[in-house]
Amino acid sequence: MDTQRRTDFGPPDFRRFLPPVIKDNYGKWKYHEILKPGVMVHVGEGGDKLFTVRAGSPRLLGTKRIRKYAELADKYCGGHLRFTSRHNVEFLLTDEANIDPLIKDLHDLGHPVGGIGPAISSIVHTQGWVHCHSAATDASGVVKAVMDDLHEYFDGTKQIPGKLRIALACCLNMCGAVHCSDIAILGVHRRPPKVQQGLNKVCEIPNVIAACPTAAIRPSTVDGNPSVEIDESLCMFCANCFSVCPALPMADALNDGVSIWVGGKVSNARSEPMFSKLAVPFIENEPPRWPTVVQAVRKIVEVWADGARPYERMGDFIERIGWPKFFKLTGIEFQKEHIDDYRYAGLSYKRSAQLRH
Amino acid sequence: MAVTTEQIADAMYEMVKEVQGKKKLKAMDLTHAMIDRYGAEGCDKKMCKAAIRDLIDNDRCVYTYFGGSYIELPHEEGAASGG
Amino acid sequence: MSETNGKGSATPLLDELEKGDWPSFVTQIKEMAADGNEQCQQLLELLERSYREKIGHWKHGGIVGVHGYGGGVIGRYNDLPEEFPAIAHFHTLRVNMPTGWFYTSEVLRKICDIWDEHGSGLTNMHGSTGDIILLGTTTDELEPTFQALSEADFDLGGSGSDVRTPSACVGPARCEWACYDTLDLCNDLTQTFQDELHRPAFPYKFKFKCSGCPNDCVASIARSDMSIIGTWRDDIRIDQDEVRAYAEGGMNIERDICGNCPTKCMAWDGNELEIDNSNCVKCMHCINAMPKALRPGVDTGATILLGAKAPIVQGAQLSSVLIPFIKLEPPYQEIKDLAERIWDFWGEHGKNRERVGELMQRVGLGNFLEAIEVEPLPEMIAAPRDNPYVFYEEYYEEEDEEAEEEEPAAVP
Repeated sequence: MDTQRRTDFGPPDFRRFLPPVIKDNYGKWKYHEILKPGVMVHVGEGGDKLFTVRAGSPRLLGTKRIRKYAELADKYCGGHLRFTSRHNVEFLLTDEANIDPLIKDLHDLGHPVGGIGPAISSIVHTQGWVHCHSAATDASGVVKAVMDDLHEYFDGTKQIPGKLRIALACCLNMCGAVHCSDIAILGVHRRPPKVQQGLNKVCEIPNVIAACPTAAIRPSTVDGNPSVEIDESLCMFCANCFSVCPALPMADALNDGVSIWVGGKVSNARSEPMFSKLAVPFIENEPPRWPTVVQAVRKIVEVWADGARPYERMGDFIERIGWPKFFKLTGIEFQKEHIDDYRYAGLSYKRSAQLRH
Repeated sequence: MAVTTEQIADAMYEMVKEVQGKKKLKAMDLTHAMIDRYGAEGCDKKMCKAAIRDLIDNDRCVYTYFGGSYIELPHEEGAASGG
Repeated sequence: MSETNGKGSATPLLDELEKGDWPSFVTQIKEMAADGNEQCQQLLELLERSYREKIGHWKHGGIVGVHGYGGGVIGRYNDLPEEFPAIAHFHTLRVNMPTGWFYTSEVLRKICDIWDEHGSGLTNMHGSTGDIILLGTTTDELEPTFQALSEADFDLGGSGSDVRTPSACVGPARCEWACYDTLDLCNDLTQTFQDELHRPAFPYKFKFKCSGCPNDCVASIARSDMSIIGTWRDDIRIDQDEVRAYAEGGMNIERDICGNCPTKCMAWDGNELEIDNSNCVKCMHCINAMPKALRPGVDTGATILLGAKAPIVQGAQLSSVLIPFIKLEPPYQEIKDLAERIWDFWGEHGKNRERVGELMQRVGLGNFLEAIEVEPLPEMIAAPRDNPYVFYEEYYEEEDEEAEEEEPAAVP
């Protein structure tokens, strides 16, 4: 073994990468203001100013584009930048005069500036067909098509009442944990797993049986070999069995597609955090641009933008107007699938940070 | 019964070898089994942790992931072989 | 933007995704494919095929990794290796990002250099958990990539049944609302739990997320097993002149601020904003709306909540309150001890793929609290139980009662 090999040293200390204005004002910021779409200023107790320019990104970036970001950071920001939890890139400036030239360069590079304050920010999403083994839809392609349609809400061309957060997960494993988003786009399978020959050679059967939350998987014998059989009436297409056993594929071109969920949030502002609820149970995959999904998302955004009061998030808006009116205004057909039939206890736990101290 | 980390590692290795292909064991399965076998006085969680690290660092076992992390004997990846 | 050649494009469907105003991931892959990068060229073709067939072509690999670690590498193989040999192996490395996602141009270029040399050149900045995702390389390149990364001071993040790469909001680096040092705590937890992060020993994943205030910009309440959300317990700081300035600027304080307060603890008489702080639940709305006029108090700390997760296996959960208020100062021993007690109990009783939140539900929050030595408090619940099925653990027999009455006589 190589004795030089280092392990368990962790990430480099973030303090190495902070710009001087942040080092000087760390923990001493007084307030901030949004100056225009995608641009804000933070003002320190002593009057120092830090300007942030936020740009949208496709999340999937080649090193060539990252090097371009680095060039812009050198040109305008003393080499300093950061990324946000929603895949945006933020340039950190101290010279106000650099803001507009930077925005111009970002636009020339094809990156919109926006996503701050009452706006739609970038869509948090997963890998999809680009790199995932369990995807029920693509991720980047759906996101690109939806954001092409909604970019005016990102860059401030169109005003909206409050924040709107969209997320996409390409299956209900939810690497993107989309379940608390104003609008969630979720890939879904609709066909039970197809048991592959030779399953017992790749998977331990007791583990496979134990993986099913509804006990739909039972031991069986196929051509004299131990295998499993699926009680299809009990399958809810969670794909947990596929996660532990690759010989139970779920993906199916004819039956896979996406669902749309609405009204979730994570912030404690005004109302407590809440889950997204089912709006559209199923839309089939329509590559390359998923027009039905794009239309459905736009309709939901417009209904909210027209009807919501200032600051009101999607979930609060729907709660105020009621679900029947939501379905009426959006024109989404209410059907059996909207009604929950999977029980989960524990609803009485306090699920927020709203407390009296 | 006092045992050494090496003895624990050997015992764990035998366990993994015995069930390879039939059942996957997690780090905690091995740890529980060792504490059952040698008693909490002779063998604690820290020693088990060190024994697992020993098995992995010396290439006697590998970590695998199939919806959860397991400890197995080194073997060729099923997914790597075409089809 | 599209670079179609005279013979017609090999990727007509993907080309459609170079149209429109939002930056295109297809353009990113094409940019990298342009200089004869075979991996990116074949990735484009394979993806085009998925678009045509409406199905993915990736298989999960469960064994590949770097020596000694059980996390940080996600194995990927395509199911058509003869047709797409350059990406027959196309593994992902999760690289632990600098806390808060701060970079210098110099360190970004260093990462690019490493990845151009050892992999596809494609990345995600960043993955959902927060890591730098290096997307696509061969099995043989994993160890050299790790070696090069370690020389640049970058270590791998978590994957599998371990501590996943902790993440934090921008915190005190650029936010006046940070009620504790999210970046320092996150970095400290990451460094403290390196072994737990790299050597999976849990029933399933465990996530820490550090948000500086109840706006929860890293979605900790939805996405982390331990959500650490900044808060305060004294009074909101008010600058009445600035409140009046907002009013003069056209803000409808009565309707949009007081009217949106969840506990209606505010009153505006046109001149002064009055807050009944004893009834404030720290929701942040008024502070968000008037950042120049209102600020969190100065007696700050955090609420610790436990158990959030996505649906797999038993259903999605939000975190629920475990510690209503805690001061957070280095070395953060209390929170580390708490995590260790939780892991002990979970390691003892958790089933494969069972998250802490599911274990809490299965054994009951009350029993869970007893096991991790935390007192039950009314802040932990939205309401007490509304069913009478209480699992009392002990009861008295007739003799016990008599014996007790006859105290101090010895119990037989």
